[in-house]
Amino acid sequence: MIIIGEKINGTIPSVKKAIEAKDEEFIRDLAVRQAEAGADYIDVCAGTAPEIEEETLIWLMDIVQDAVDKPLCIDSPNPRTIEKVFPYAKRPGIINSVSEEGDKCEVIYPMIQGTEWQVIALTCDNRGIPSDVQTRVDITKIMVEKAQKYGITPDRIHIDPLVMALSADNKSLLNFIETLTAVKELYPTIKVTSGLSNISFGMPLRKVINQHFLTIAMYAGMDSAILDPCNRDMLTTLLATEALLGRDRFCRNFANAYRKNKIGPVKVVEK
Amino acid sequence: MVDLEKLTQAVGELDEEKVLAMLKEFVGTNPSGEEANKVVNACQQGMAIVGDLFEKGEYFVGDLIFAGELLTAAIDTLKPVLGGEKASKIGKIVLGTVEGDLHDIGKNIFASMAEAAGFEVYDLGIDVPADKFVEKVKEIKPQILGMSGVLTLALDAMKKTVDAVKEAGLRDDIKIIIGGNPVTDDACKQIGADAFTTNAAEGVKICQGWVM
Repeated sequence: MIIIGEKINGTIPSVKKAIEAKDEEFIRDLAVRQAEAGADYIDVCAGTAPEIEEETLIWLMDIVQDAVDKPLCIDSPNPRTIEKVFPYAKRPGIINSVSEEGDKCEVIYPMIQGTEWQVIALTCDNRGIPSDVQTRVDITKIMVEKAQKYGITPDRIHIDPLVMALSADNKSLLNFIETLTAVKELYPTIKVTSGLSNISFGMPLRKVINQHFLTIAMYAGMDSAILDPCNRDMLTTLLATEALLGRDRFCRNFANAYRKNKIGPVKVVEK
Repeated sequence: MVDLEKLTQAVGELDEEKVLAMLKEFVGTNPSGEEANKVVNACQQGMAIVGDLFEKGEYFVGDLIFAGELLTAAIDTLKPVLGGEKASKIGKIVLGTVEGDLHDIGKNIFASMAEAAGFEVYDLGIDVPADKFVEKVKEIKPQILGMSGVLTLALDAMKKTVDAVKEAGLRDDIKIIIGGNPVTDDACKQIGADAFTTNAAEGVKICQGWVM
């Protein structure tokens, strides 16, 4: 399971404050903590006004790359911003994201042609987010075929089927799984990803819904997830599910995380 | 020469990469058999740390199984320099899962930990009838006979085996330890064994106490 750490995002109030105050230490700490908790990629999202987004992203990228030895996941709704900050990445990571909205693919794909960069591709277009499976699959096809023109193979693409709120669409998870299955039938090596918090929008005990969503999605074959690895409950679910799915030899990752006090009841460390 | 304390610590931490890297480097220096034995000994001491941490609840069953594999890999790495001369063994154990029982996870953990502690272990496998145990005890003349089982019917088979050992006139020469889910103090007395355990690491400690 590929973990994309989501904590460095300017839409989160504490991060927004740190960005405004140019608090490097705060950002650095978020990067280090996520890396220690097992993040494979560190997402950086400025979430600022468009005119300062580029400089903010570069500032965030520099801090994270200096703090940890993990590739970045460059996160912006604006493909031209991504294009501008792209040269500041020291090693191949993930672009977050393209979709069939506007000319996103046309800007990003040539940029990562001939590199090892991966890309998250959202199944939406100028009409918005589809509510049915077939349209999601159709949009996937278009994005994958465009990618092939630039030599970008399906294994470098993480399809995000954009999970709907369960409270509004009771078949939200089932649709996600149906999309995942259909997409993988078409392209066996393609990756499927998802955020974990949309599903529980408007419900009480959101975390519980998110955790169980993660379990079922992993079983269905989700390859990566954008989540907070420092969240004990989320990490517990992830590691327990990895073990249950036979991907944790002798269950040692689970046991090690427990011993290191990353999961389970919080132990007061005696110094 | 490799830093023995660091090696012991790395084995104790189950740091596979570090352990094997240290051993490969050591083998590359073309050491003497005596030096190699010291290194094996350091690995064994590391396994004792693993056992202790397991008893404290810091390590779990998966860690023990992994520890067994790590030790096997370590000895394999050292094979070319061990020069056929065995590291000094502290004793022999004949071991098996008793007749009618096919469970071997616990037995295998005990076997690898006992080997790590310096015992020569003769593992007869699963579903071992009483006469097989007796035959092997006659042949090997071990200090210890270990019987394992998970099912309650294993207790009868254990008693049968102890009786067969008595009949063969071998009972006074060996210590008998039983292990597994159904064994208790009462069962141990009834069966006529010397000790019982439900914990592989503790079982190894008991055996060490008998031969040291």
